[in-house]
Amino acid sequence: MSERAGLLPRWGTRVIVGVVVGLALGFAIGWWLWPVQYTNTEPGVLRQDYRDDYIIMVATAYEAEGSLELARERLSLLDPEEPSVPVVELAERLVEAGGAAEDIERLTRLAWALGALTPTLVPDMEGRP
Amino acid sequence: MSDFATRWIATFVGAVIGLTLGLLYTWIIAPVELVNTYPALLRTDYRQSWVRLAALSYVVDYDLERTRSRLDGLKQDDVSGAIQALIEESAAAGWPADTLRSLTTLAEALDVQTPAMLVYLYTSTPLPSAPINTPSSMPTRPATRTSMPRASPSLTVDTPEPTRTPRDASPLITPTPEPTSTPPSPTPTPPLLARLGLVRQEQLCEPGQMLQVQILVTDERGAGIPGVEVWLMWSGGADRAVTGLKPGKGAGYVDFEAEPSASYVLGVGELGTPLVTDLQVEPCPYEGDEEPLMGSWRVVLGPRPLATRESDDNG
Repeated sequence: MSERAGLLPRWGTRVIVGVVVGLALGFAIGWWLWPVQYTNTEPGVLRQDYRDDYIIMVATAYEAEGSLELARERLSLLDPEEPSVPVVELAERLVEAGGAAEDIERLTRLAWALGALTPTLVPDMEGRP
Repeated sequence: MSDFATRWIATFVGAVIGLTLGLLYTWIIAPVELVNTYPALLRTDYRQSWVRLAALSYVVDYDLERTRSRLDGLKQDDVSGAIQALIEESAAAGWPADTLRSLTTLAEALDVQTPAMLVYLYTSTPLPSAPINTPSSMPTRPATRTSMPRASPSLTVDTPEPTRTPRDASPLITPTPEPTSTPPSPTPTPPLLARLGLVRQEQLCEPGQMLQVQILVTDERGAGIPGVEVWLMWSGGADRAVTGLKPGKGAGYVDFEAEPSASYVLGVGELGTPLVTDLQVEPCPYEGDEEPLMGSWRVVLGPRPLATRESDDNG
């Protein structure tokens, strides 16, 4: 018996090669060819831009419907504990980034209605100059 | 077993083990992260909510491009279903007509069609009028999406071009050497609304039914006409509704709740021109010892025949 065969049987080497090949295939299949397909997702896992749009739409719909309860219910899909937080965060981010004034005002009005107005947003309640 | 076979079996077993481990890791232990999804992947009710929010936002900001981009990637069925439902719910909830017009404008822009839209898209005219003797211009029942009229002539103020009758060109009329400057004017066609009358009235007797006055407004061919303003008036009050808001019951359908003790007058049009008077909820025909059932009314309105026109044609 050779020295190599003494350390690891020949079939053992083959098993290791097989495992490595199999793992590579598994990773390729699982992450690339047929990754887990998510459907039936919730708004909370939307990409940031869609999430922002969702919040703006909730604020705009609040203007149309006038139902704070509905707005709160919709926002709780993003943050069940503090539904107003996403609104305030987005409004402040838009203020900093110089976002659309109408969007900021709608978000601010909704934040105010939810009792979450912050000093940064106060000027937008009266119309930012 | 030969050495060659053993080696290949070992390789295969190793590959199976490796593949299993790899899939276990990638599908279960560390699957693709559930972040950065997009609206089309949302659960059905959230997708509909997304469409609804986009439509409501349009009502406020009138930004069609933004609305389109928000709905981009969603299936047309999702968009259609949610917007149809929103329009019908909003109409039933008595939202302001301007809001409903905005919604229907959006629906039209997105190629979403629902019979309830007709009422709000084309109610700029005071009364719906339908020319007679032009069947192609009568409102088409929106049974299929492709057949929905974009601008149904029955719901516009456009007066159809008067058509000369064969009598106008009859050789029996002595030709004059000099053409007259004013050709014989055809008989003006009265609007459909002015010709509406009671076609039939039937009592509905079904146990447990809600007491109602159901009205069906039809054209000459018996097809329902959407967008007709119907009034139910009683001593001390009145209620108004527009046909076509319950598409499941027909384009020309509208109903009102009724009280057993009231006497109603049924009218149509902006002025509520009365067509049926002294309409009262009455007991259904008595059957045995059971307590008599109060019956609803189903009233069918349709155009009355034009006696003058017929006599003209005959003469």
